[in-house]
Amino acid sequence: MSDLLSVFEYQFFRNAVYASVLISIFAAMIGTYIVSRKIVFIGGGITHASFGGIGIAYYFGVNPFGGAAVFAIMTALGIEWIAQKGKVREDSAIAILWSLGMALGIIFVFMTPGYTPNLMTFLFGSILSVSTTDLYMLGGFGILVAIIFAVFFRPILYTAFDPEFARVMGVPVSTFRYMMSVLMALAIVISIRSIGIILVLSMFTIPQITAMLFTRNFARIIPLAAVWGISGSVTGLLLSYLLNIPSGASIIFFLTIQFLVIKLVFVLKKTFLQRKRK
Amino acid sequence: MNKPIVILENISTGYTAKPVLEGVSLSVHQNDFIGVLGPNGGGKTTLMKLILGLLKPFSGKISFPSGRPPTGYLPQVSQIDKSFPITVKELVSSGLKDINPWFPHPGISQRKALHRMLDEAGLAELASRPIGELSGGQLQKALLSRALINKPRLLILDEPNTHVDKQFERDLYNWLQELNKEMAILLVSHDIGTISPIVKTIACVNGNLHYHPSNQLSEEVLRVYNCPVDVIAHGPVPHRVLKSHDHDKD
Repeated sequence: MSDLLSVFEYQFFRNAVYASVLISIFAAMIGTYIVSRKIVFIGGGITHASFGGIGIAYYFGVNPFGGAAVFAIMTALGIEWIAQKGKVREDSAIAILWSLGMALGIIFVFMTPGYTPNLMTFLFGSILSVSTTDLYMLGGFGILVAIIFAVFFRPILYTAFDPEFARVMGVPVSTFRYMMSVLMALAIVISIRSIGIILVLSMFTIPQITAMLFTRNFARIIPLAAVWGISGSVTGLLLSYLLNIPSGASIIFFLTIQFLVIKLVFVLKKTFLQRKRK
Repeated sequence: MNKPIVILENISTGYTAKPVLEGVSLSVHQNDFIGVLGPNGGGKTTLMKLILGLLKPFSGKISFPSGRPPTGYLPQVSQIDKSFPITVKELVSSGLKDINPWFPHPGISQRKALHRMLDEAGLAELASRPIGELSGGQLQKALLSRALINKPRLLILDEPNTHVDKQFERDLYNWLQELNKEMAILLVSHDIGTISPIVKTIACVNGNLHYHPSNQLSEEVLRVYNCPVDVIAHGPVPHRVLKSHDHDKD
């Protein structure tokens, strides 16, 4: 036990814990919107399309996060525009942008001369190398998301639930939908460095699905998802240290185990109560 | 006849270049109760979206002589995602109009109106329940409460009798008869048999619109207006629906 606690003496591990707490908090808000609107597939499209931006940024020698952010935002806005105009099937458009982004990323990384040392960081994440500057960025973004959700909670809820009715009521539906698309894209990109492209979406879905086992109230799902996100990611981090396995994968693995255990408890409880009634 | 609250004059509209509705004219007055009937794809929902301001006319004119009236809208229940995590209270309060749409946090008077509406609809005890836990009738009641909380002068209902039991349907029609004393109602349906005893007049929509100034749709009337009716086995009870037809032959 003391071995396990001694790991907190290391600055890099403490930073990793702070990062997972901060990501869990803003992912709880954005993820609740994603899961409630059933747009997880859009999140996947944004995440993978951002790899195109990373590849192009590598090729031109500029900050890969900038490239990822531009691609993610363009993809998110593009998907929302297609969804609103209905010119192309939304799922088809997502599939095209998803694979196009990955293809561009692979082509440009291949064309980049020399070795691309941080490529694996983007694919699988590197939460143990999070710097203090990264923490400030995560914290600042978390505060921005919290303010937006506090001020605009109702229009966000109404436009997600029944956009047509919200439009009849005079709510600027398109503005809110585009704003949420940009927030979604930024949240995903900002979390990629810690969790990686391949696994990041899990932080925006698994804690929310776990929270939804307890409540079907949008406002209550958010804090519960944050709690399950924090508990799953911190435990996953500790496990990765104990078992010497990649931290991003360990976090996602533990978030899933946590969900399955809680789900099992709910199923057993329901079965027990049904038998008791008989 | 009192002053109309909505006037449609020779309107064509649709979603693409090809209009769904053409040459549509209709006036809606205070205390009208119009059944909007027609086959699937005939343009009933398009007409409703036009009046709600969700669609613009390609040609023709829509006007509101006393300004756009407060309008309540009940969508088809099939459009509602029952698994969405929203409570009855949140659902009903989304119909509150007199608040800034950018920052719609209800004030004291709005909260009072919300509680009054929940009490009137018999939903007070279900206020904190997520809509996924409601029966079909309870959900329809919550959606109707959302449409009514704004005290509308015009109420538009899209197929309100789907996914509800017969008892609720009877209660709903009694409620609508009461509401009609204070507001105009447009009731969209494909089922003539069920709604013709409830409504006062009928607008038959099938690409264009033919207004029947009574709710009596006898075979004679239907023949004169060239509105053929099919009796089809749709659901557990066979009922009468308008067959796809062309008013140009009138």
